[in-house]
Amino acid sequence: MVSVGPARWGWLLLSFTRRELTSRYAGSVSGLAWTLLHPLAQLAIYAYVFNRVFRVGVPAEYPSVAFVTFVAAALWPWIMFSEGLQRAMGSIAANGGLIRKVAFPHRLLVFAAILATCIVHGIGYVVVLVVLRIAGQPVHFSGIPVALALLVPYMVLAIGIGAFLAALQTLLRDVEHGMQVVLQMLFYASPILYPATLVPEPLRLWMRVNPIGWFSERLRVVLLHGGGLVPGDATMALACLLVFLAGLWFFERLSPHFEDFL
Amino acid sequence: MSVVRAPGSEAPPAARAAESAGELIRLRSVTKDYPRISKGTDRLRTMAALLFRSREMPHFRVLEDIDLDLRKGESLGIVGENGAGKSTLLKIIAGVVRPTSGEVRIEGRVGALLELGSGFHPDYTGRENIYLSSALMGLSRRETRGKVDSIIAFADIGEHIDEPIKHYSSGMVVRLGFAVATALEPEVLITDEVLAVGDESFQKKCIDWLQDFLREGGTLLMCSHSMYHVQTLCRKAVWIHQGRLRMQGESFDVTREYLTYHEEKTAKTRVSQRPEGGLTKIVDAWIERDDGERASTFARGEPLVLQGVAYEPNDRPPVVLFGIIRADGSAVYGSHSNEGGFAPVRLGPCRFGFAVRFEALPLLPGKYHLRVHSLDPPGLRLFDTFEVDFVVTGETRDYGLVELAHAWLPGRGDR
Repeated sequence: MVSVGPARWGWLLLSFTRRELTSRYAGSVSGLAWTLLHPLAQLAIYAYVFNRVFRVGVPAEYPSVAFVTFVAAALWPWIMFSEGLQRAMGSIAANGGLIRKVAFPHRLLVFAAILATCIVHGIGYVVVLVVLRIAGQPVHFSGIPVALALLVPYMVLAIGIGAFLAALQTLLRDVEHGMQVVLQMLFYASPILYPATLVPEPLRLWMRVNPIGWFSERLRVVLLHGGGLVPGDATMALACLLVFLAGLWFFERLSPHFEDFL
Repeated sequence: MSVVRAPGSEAPPAARAAESAGELIRLRSVTKDYPRISKGTDRLRTMAALLFRSREMPHFRVLEDIDLDLRKGESLGIVGENGAGKSTLLKIIAGVVRPTSGEVRIEGRVGALLELGSGFHPDYTGRENIYLSSALMGLSRRETRGKVDSIIAFADIGEHIDEPIKHYSSGMVVRLGFAVATALEPEVLITDEVLAVGDESFQKKCIDWLQDFLREGGTLLMCSHSMYHVQTLCRKAVWIHQGRLRMQGESFDVTREYLTYHEEKTAKTRVSQRPEGGLTKIVDAWIERDDGERASTFARGEPLVLQGVAYEPNDRPPVVLFGIIRADGSAVYGSHSNEGGFAPVRLGPCRFGFAVRFEALPLLPGKYHLRVHSLDPPGLRLFDTFEVDFVVTGETRDYGLVELAHAWLPGRGDR
């Protein structure tokens, strides 16, 4: 088609995102409510199990911060990441009918899947932070723009890995099952429910180089302590960008052949 | 492998030359292999092959060595059996499928209607779906906004346009899909068997639209099992057979050959159904003038004699059937020998002769086929087709197939 400019596909991306949002929630009034409630329920479970039963406390660097606040600051971004990844992974197969019949850049489906997840859980994140602040928790609203700046590379990473997995899933089929296990391991292996300082020394390096660990810790710092970006953020952002480019290269290389496998 | 799409200013010289010649679609030795993925290891090998651009993968070939040219204002029909590769070919041209090798060059705005309503979301209203599928076809929001009203008018859906399309009937979805595709105002329209859906009046509307589109210089590429549609809408046609180009030419010629092939194939199937003994068949048939001289060109109103010899394995006179068909496939007239109580005359063992005389042939000038079939006497089953062509010459301003005896008279003026 003529003039396949970025502006034109930009609108298609918005249309896909809108469709993704409505298809997830349209038809059920409570759809959006459930999506927002699901992380809240998770938060309640973690608070009960770790704080009440196992008596995991909030580290000394965060005085007067409740365990719920401590976890919430890193949990919503993680949900954006992991749910976005899973949505992205299934996005090609879910739109197989479209790919078989219409020519358009397939990557837009991956972008839309993650964008829609970010929008939904981004709203949830902000609501939860505001509620916690009202409840008297020391949430620094000034840290929100910085948190946003940290979320961008976090989600760029999600798109890169998502694109890679989407292509892999389309060609190999059984990536999905393995991915659930990997994500669960990654969740517990990252300082989301616990501070990185609680981890024994040999594992500390992992906490810092693992982007999920890095962003979880950093988001907590800027939201609960305030403060700006640090040089390490730039390094991590660069790493995320490289993963994004590699993932997209892989995806673009295989995307003309998706139709063969759907 | 090179796929060039709408290069515009940075078009290579060859492309510009093609553009100046009005060539919109140009395929050169296009081949498409689909990966064979029955085992998990096949998937892995295929992925590695695709990633590193090697050709070493288990595959099966669906299209081989296809050359195709389509100029501006041309209309091309694609015919072929199910699974011949027609849809894959259209998908390659529409940009949905990448060929394994070969060159694909497309100029101009291509609108592909591979499936009506394929971009639709069931929970969206008709109006929202117009926006979504226009976006998919590459229209901007502003462009779409200007067209929404005409799309709704063409689809003729009325107030249902603001209801979710999951409540639509399939015919309504199809109408909406076609309406959106036409609003794109493509230079080349690619359709895959879409006219087969929708009711009579909508089909007529689509055909009218397509004819207007062609009259205004549009270019059409369509794939259909309806020879009637191919003949009405397309001037040229190609026949894809088992992934290869079997025939290319005027649509009437190609569709005729294709239909003949089918008749032969059906006849063969019947043969295999009844292996014992031989079957009745037309051994020979020809056309003569009044004086017994063989001919294939007749003046209008001249007598024509069909002569034929039939074989009947049981030595019983077969039933013979003839039919006259105009070159475009329109049936003119047909009759069988039982009708007139005629039995072919025995010429020798198992051989029977027959002749049909047409006094003062009333056919209008044009090309015709005369088909002769022999039927087995008890079952009246059709086993064989023998075709002879002839041309009726002359000039006329009359319309239709045959000249009916008539006279012009002064009218009476009252009932």
